[in-house]
Amino acid sequence: MAQAPTGTFQVHYFASASSYTNRQSESLPAPLPLGKLFEVLESKYPGIGAKVLTSCGVSVNLEYVDVEEEKVKLRDMEAAQDGQSRALVIIKDGDEVAIIPPVSSG
Amino acid sequence: MGVSTETSRDSYASVPSETKDSTPAHLDRSTFPRTVSLPDERIHIELTYDPLSADTALSYTNSPAAGANVFFLGTTRNTFDGRAVAQLSYTSYPPLALRTLTEIARQSKEKHGLIAVSISHRLGTVAVGEASILIAVSSGHRRAAWRAGEEILDECKAKAEIWKREEFVGSKPEDGEWRANKDWDGEGNLVSHQ
Repeated sequence: MAQAPTGTFQVHYFASASSYTNRQSESLPAPLPLGKLFEVLESKYPGIGAKVLTSCGVSVNLEYVDVEEEKVKLRDMEAAQDGQSRALVIIKDGDEVAIIPPVSSG
Repeated sequence: MGVSTETSRDSYASVPSETKDSTPAHLDRSTFPRTVSLPDERIHIELTYDPLSADTALSYTNSPAAGANVFFLGTTRNTFDGRAVAQLSYTSYPPLALRTLTEIARQSKEKHGLIAVSISHRLGTVAVGEASILIAVSSGHRRAAWRAGEEILDECKAKAEIWKREEFVGSKPEDGEWRANKDWDGEGNLVSHQ
């Protein structure tokens, strides 16, 4: 399996996410707080948030993660401005992220 | 079956990621079939681009201790919501789908005291009328196998990281649509998400 360039993580798109981005996979700069992932994707693919991501799950290294919870943590941190870093989930160099739309096997 | 990838595996490693689409290994057909085989647990999971074989699926669950063998074969239907389907295809995220399917099999085995479970799903283009999923379970007595078979199918449809795309007769391939199982119940009725 090909390795993403250093300083990046790989993100895989499936189904509606793949159709919207017109890609199956790409690498993006790491590290990135998980709570900023949808922001980064929205800037690359305007409209993807409301049309696709809102109904999608996200996995990092094959484990499901809670992007909404991380967004809230980031907002709280910025609002508090106390210089304290909350325990944020960070997407690291070499991580494998996947955007998981509602499934349709069978 | 023909093997085709849009980009060769060797070429994309060196290509700057922002400028070129790449075909990840999990979509490279030469890496299939992908299986999870757990002989001790009598669990067999398979994702394949080849036609599914009922005999093979049943061979994984065959046991002299079994009094019941339940087998489900899901086939691709020629209509969606009254529209004629020209072609269907499935794609998946294999590492996660295999993990999810294994967990479904394991939990059902434990809950119903099954002897063995086999789940196979086909990927790529599937002609109308062909099998897209096979589920085989065996148990000492019939009730456990009947119940487990239906539950496993429901769990697969709800959780397995596999997606179906339908293209319609008289429409362009790019106007195909991705399906979401959560929108439809087991009797083919539209489910409202209020």
